[in-house]
Amino acid sequence: MTALPETPLLETRGVWQRFGGLVANSDVSISVGRGEIVGLIGPNGAGKSTLFNLIAGVLPPTQGSIIFDGEDVTRLPAAERCQRGVGRTFQVVKSFETMTVVDNVIVGALIRNTKMRIARQKAYEVLEFCGLAARADKLAADLVPSEKRRLEVARALATEPKLLLLDEVLTGLTPVEAQTGVELVRKVRATGVTVLMVEHVMEIVMPLVDRAIVLNLGKVLIEGKPTEVVRNPEVISAYLGDRHAVGA
Amino acid sequence: MDTQFAQRRRRDLIVAGCLAVIAALVPLFVKDVYVQNIMVLTLMYAALSQSWNILSGYCGQISLGHALYFGLGAYTTALLFTKFGVLPWFGMLAGGAISAVIAMALGYPCFRLRGHYFVIATIVIAEIALVLIQNWDWAGAALGIDIPVRGDSWLKFQFARSKLPYFYFALALASVAWLVTWWLEDSKWGYWWRAVKDNPDAAESLGVVVFNSKMGAAAVSAFLVAVGGSFYAQFVSYIDPESVMGFQFSLLMALPAVLGGIGTLWGPVLGAVILIPLTELTRSFIGGSGRGVDLIVYGTLIVVISLALPRGLVSVFSWRKEAAR
Repeated sequence: MTALPETPLLETRGVWQRFGGLVANSDVSISVGRGEIVGLIGPNGAGKSTLFNLIAGVLPPTQGSIIFDGEDVTRLPAAERCQRGVGRTFQVVKSFETMTVVDNVIVGALIRNTKMRIARQKAYEVLEFCGLAARADKLAADLVPSEKRRLEVARALATEPKLLLLDEVLTGLTPVEAQTGVELVRKVRATGVTVLMVEHVMEIVMPLVDRAIVLNLGKVLIEGKPTEVVRNPEVISAYLGDRHAVGA
Repeated sequence: MDTQFAQRRRRDLIVAGCLAVIAALVPLFVKDVYVQNIMVLTLMYAALSQSWNILSGYCGQISLGHALYFGLGAYTTALLFTKFGVLPWFGMLAGGAISAVIAMALGYPCFRLRGHYFVIATIVIAEIALVLIQNWDWAGAALGIDIPVRGDSWLKFQFARSKLPYFYFALALASVAWLVTWWLEDSKWGYWWRAVKDNPDAAESLGVVVFNSKMGAAAVSAFLVAVGGSFYAQFVSYIDPESVMGFQFSLLMALPAVLGGIGTLWGPVLGAVILIPLTELTRSFIGGSGRGVDLIVYGTLIVVISLALPRGLVSVFSWRKEAAR
């Protein structure tokens, strides 16, 4: 191990992302400690998804650097970050629709297991963990939306990530489905995986996360314990407008 | 669960073995040279389509320029033999290797293209290659190459009197192409390719190096198609640019897989067994009138099959599996 356990698992240092004239992220520096569940929240257009994609390696930032597990991964493509232990889900689910559920998960498992038999076994274990074992032989296209979300998580978990990036996995679910999702995230953390989740449904996320980072207009507005963050006048004004903040 | 999957794969292997044995016995009963000729072509197209299916079916990179690799195989073998006296067996391997390298060299820029743009690039590149060969004097230009046939010989892989050796070689080639596909289907590559086809972004996030996956598929696919081209050159013993690199070969490689079931193990075989005899029979029975009736009938049948079974002929067999789930 090159990195000491005390160093954060993930760090962004002064990250900027510009799309032409639009500044999606400006000087964002955040860190995620080992074993934490961190919520990345903020109103629409705050730059959450951009930051998320920069961490996952979809594109390199315009400026700044991203440190994962003590290593500078700023210029590494997504596949290599996965190799180093970054797993992710997609906001708009991207299942392999013509493949069965278990085959979807095998694709993820193959990065750590070259033997097919073992990868397959691993995939069944992960499906069991995520409560999808009964659906293993169905085509991914035949799953209902909440199951597809869980399949995204299962696929990412099969890559044995150190850091799991969840992009709005709880959004758009019924309260019961969302509760199952929350329990799944807790179970994932219990296995030692660090979780960074983007959400904008505050009432679901807040009880779940250890720490919340609020983004607004591309900048870090505030970070701290969820209970503190929700009472912060700046956060309220970012979400609801100035009038409400004054009232608070 | 695991065993069910293993059982299905073993069953596929046994069925294929039985079919190969039955096919090998057919010439004992069918002595008609015309029919034997159709059988050779059917097996050859089954092999070609199976190889095309690796890149276009499994990996989802639709190529309509595979005539290029077919022609490269044919030309490499013919040129090495006529100019340098290299035996066709080595020519075959050389043609395959050259095609695999060229497929990767072309893939380097082309795999950055997605969807229709990739398809267009494959067509255009094959057409450019055709024009180049037509104007390459050393390789016979538009006149082509006549491979001198001096009696039957396995060493030189040429047979003047009998079609049977060609038949068995074509059968072996189709079997190899099928086996390679069968083996790749349950390998890391097979899974990577299907993931790349279904969703490259998701694949990349799971550690799949999309670009390399496509390159691998292109190389395997081109190699096998080129071996088919080498075989064809020996089979017809005279080649010219249009007769081994024409656009129709690209189509005839794609059609069996598409009709039979693209991206499936059995699709290309099933498609070839139905399509190639149909092509030949419509041509000999209702062709020759000069009005192209055979092509109308042939085209209509393809349209009807694709409309009735959009997932290919294999879907007729898969409904039972679906029901069993």
